[in-house]
Amino acid sequence: MLRQEFLKKWIMGLQICSASKKEMSILERKNAIKLSADLAMASTRNGSTNWRRALIANASKENDNTTLVDQILGKDSESIIKKASIPSAFHDERGTTCRGKKVLRNRCCGIRRAKKMAASAGSIAKKLVKKRTQVLKRLVPGGESMDEFSLMEETLDYILSLRAQVDVMRHFANATPPN
Amino acid sequence: MEGNSGTDSRSADNGVESLQLGEEIQRLVMAPETGNSFTALLELPPNQAMELLHEPGGNDETPPPFNRLLRSLDSTPTFPSNAELLERAAVFSVFAAENSMETSLIPVNSVANSGERVKREPMDTDSNPNSSDPNSNQKSTKRKEREKKGKGLTKKSKSKANETSDDGEKLPYVHVRARRGQATDSHSLAERARREKINARMKLLQELVPGCNKISGTAMVLDEIINHVQSLQRQVEFLSMRLAAVNPRIDFNLDSLLAAESESPVDGNFPGTVMPLMWPDSQVNGNRPPYQQIWHFDGLHQPVWERESHNFINADNSLLSYDSPTNSASLLSNQLKMEL
Repeated sequence: MLRQEFLKKWIMGLQICSASKKEMSILERKNAIKLSADLAMASTRNGSTNWRRALIANASKENDNTTLVDQILGKDSESIIKKASIPSAFHDERGTTCRGKKVLRNRCCGIRRAKKMAASAGSIAKKLVKKRTQVLKRLVPGGESMDEFSLMEETLDYILSLRAQVDVMRHFANATPPN
Repeated sequence: MEGNSGTDSRSADNGVESLQLGEEIQRLVMAPETGNSFTALLELPPNQAMELLHEPGGNDETPPPFNRLLRSLDSTPTFPSNAELLERAAVFSVFAAENSMETSLIPVNSVANSGERVKREPMDTDSNPNSSDPNSNQKSTKRKEREKKGKGLTKKSKSKANETSDDGEKLPYVHVRARRGQATDSHSLAERARREKINARMKLLQELVPGCNKISGTAMVLDEIINHVQSLQRQVEFLSMRLAAVNPRIDFNLDSLLAAESESPVDGNFPGTVMPLMWPDSQVNGNRPPYQQIWHFDGLHQPVWERESHNFINADNSLLSYDSPTNSASLLSNQLKMEL
């Protein structure tokens, strides 16, 4: 179901891309393919999750011709972008404030820890987990503004969609005869 | 948890108080209804009272634990059936904790019972309150229970409020168990609940990401997840690069693609992609071919329309396998050009 939707939208996007621009270099082609694939992936399931919205918003921010693409990709992409931009801004604000608080708290904890002069294994593990969470946040689109729980959920969804994407694309790549 | 502790204390108290209880019962039976004599009995823990309130509402067949206790007290003051009672009490405490819905039944029951009590009162007082007589004793115990209920009625609003608040508090207790030494204020409870939710998600992710099952430790699991996501993203990158390199035009010519696909071995994990391949933009242009409908329930009529339009895809769960690849491919490309 996911794959079907993805494939449909991806091919639509590709056709639109090819219609808009006839001659392309390899890199341009690659970018167009990837972009349309990403957008197709993001626009499945109505862009219901955060990362999809973030992806679409990013794509529409980066290049101007992509707005054209995703306009045709999803009929309600405009609303998705709006939805994405508004909560993302909101989340960004909240995220920064939260980060500030966290930094403060960390400092407090650090002072306390320094007073105790004991770096327990638990704190090290916590640090490791935090580091990895930050990395994961960078990987998942729009993950910077998520809290941990929603990050986990979005990661789940994101992995599933990525798998579908990879699957479809690999089939395509295998299907196209190597020249 | 609280109910268990209550029953524990109660069973512990039983042995000590058994004789006192017996005397008190005697007094209760003989005396006309005075609130003071019951207050001594009603100094039991409130959840025990709740049990007693719940129990007759649920089923009248089984004698309530308190009833049984009184009978056993009557027959032998040493209280032999302690273990059984304890079991029952435990069961009923769970029962009471679970079926908090029955609290709504209590007022009705108690009202009815209180009315009955007024009627029956003279009989009870007239009858000989000899504890050796089983009938009167049975009555007395019943009456006592009723009176307890009456007391419960006066306490009704309060106990109800307590019950609801208890339920509200119990919910996090069920999910988030505070071990020894852990904080129990609302903040740390919420924090613990949040962490458990995250852990549940993490478990799901662990199942999803291959090779992540054996690993324990959040950091390691996160590592694996990160690796997996990164590898998937890289694969997307690579595949798009490859597609771009292979195809001179971004608009994949689907006929060659499909022809190649039909020759290549098809694995079955790619179901239901024939439709969108065939009609990628069926929404864009409304003029669908008339045999579009056939596609939907093709499985049964396949031979028929296969003969009619003797080159079509059979859409049986495999991706893009053809009856006659060359014909259908050309037709497909024509179709696509038409639609475009």
